[in-house]
Amino acid sequence: MPANDVFRQQLLGVIPRLRRYARSLVFDSTSADDLVQSTLERALAHWHQFDQRRDLLVWVLSIAHNAHLDQRRRDSRMSVVDPERASAEQDAIAADPGVDVALRLDLINALSRLSAEQREPLILVSVEQLTYAECAEVLRIPVGTVMSRVSRGRAALRQWLDGSARPAAGQRGLRRVV
Amino acid sequence: MNMHIEQPDDDLLSAWLDGEIEGADRERVQGWLRDHPEDAARVRLWAADRDALRARLAPTFDEPIPERLTQTVWQGGRRTPGRPWLQAAMAAGLLVAGALIGATGMRGMQPAREVAQTSNLRWPQRAAVAHAVYSPEVRHPVEVSVREGDAAMQREQEDHLSRWLTRRLTLPVKLFDLRAQGFELVGGRLLPDATGPSAQLMYQDSAGQRVTVYLRKPDDNTSAAFRYERQGEFGLFYWVEAGCGFALVGPQSRERLLALAEAIYNQGQAASSPAR
Repeated sequence: MPANDVFRQQLLGVIPRLRRYARSLVFDSTSADDLVQSTLERALAHWHQFDQRRDLLVWVLSIAHNAHLDQRRRDSRMSVVDPERASAEQDAIAADPGVDVALRLDLINALSRLSAEQREPLILVSVEQLTYAECAEVLRIPVGTVMSRVSRGRAALRQWLDGSARPAAGQRGLRRVV
Repeated sequence: MNMHIEQPDDDLLSAWLDGEIEGADRERVQGWLRDHPEDAARVRLWAADRDALRARLAPTFDEPIPERLTQTVWQGGRRTPGRPWLQAAMAAGLLVAGALIGATGMRGMQPAREVAQTSNLRWPQRAAVAHAVYSPEVRHPVEVSVREGDAAMQREQEDHLSRWLTRRLTLPVKLFDLRAQGFELVGGRLLPDATGPSAQLMYQDSAGQRVTVYLRKPDDNTSAAFRYERQGEFGLFYWVEAGCGFALVGPQSRERLLALAEAIYNQGQAASSPAR
């Protein structure tokens, strides 16, 4: 049975947050929207499994997380962050006036250098503002693990932003932000 | 979380920043940070990074949703694509179509899953036609205007419009307040419909763009969920709730119309259940 319209309406409502999350997983906007699209398709295919008493956003984010994992497994040659794409993205951001460009360049660069295991909980908690319990549900890991990964993600991000961590060979250098 | 604090480790400080530490432990972390400026400075940097991440990712959140994603939401998992009826009606000529449109000939074109709701779904096309006919009117867009004279007079006109339409439709007609969405009420008119009168409320934004809300008694009182159609230059949302059929029509983007439809839906809910 196809999904009903109330469900579709609700799904439409979570797209902005889903897109934002996808952009922190894959930095190129087209690939991020591809991920959003396959997430939406999966949600519609399994809509009867959604318990209306639960938060749709949490459910959909967990689908996005799984879709992203599958994508990474399918194409193991593709690094989580394609450096060329990240650079293109940075150029696009640099062209966007009215922001602290140096900070934003370094921020996205530093974020892209975190492992997915650290980046995902950090984004879910910091940007999507999920509780640790919700984040644990999305990622299917214990709450205590969320807590330590968020903390390590923060520390790692700060190290990259401080310039106290060295970029790996072949990757673009980081600009120091004071 | 409940743990005794000697020297809080980074996991705990970070959880405190996320509002995950409660009660006495929260107090103790705060006390620790007051007494240890180096730790406090580190936590402040994390907070600054958090705010920067939010700001960095905010533009994606605010962007219009790409059409292909809304398409996926509405088409995904359906066997049949959207209905061509409105386009056909437009092509046939709006005024002629308006006279013919109550006929039953459209049923065969609808996907099988909608057969049970057909009686509720034929009327939205009349809403689209009525919009196409009246929204371009410069001098007589509405039958009863609510924009004449001063504020007191306008309130009086609104009361009159609401009472008049309520009496003619035998439905409680509420004039929705869409000013938060940037639309002012222009006025309304009574329209003929196959099974009785219907009403059209017209709203206009500061750029002169209009949307109309079409109200009628549904053929039966079965509630029907939000549906969206976009054909030609208009989008429409329509639904049945609390014994009233609603259709919102306009040339705006789906997102803009959805915000308006939600406002109307919420105001309708508030009116029909004042206890909430």
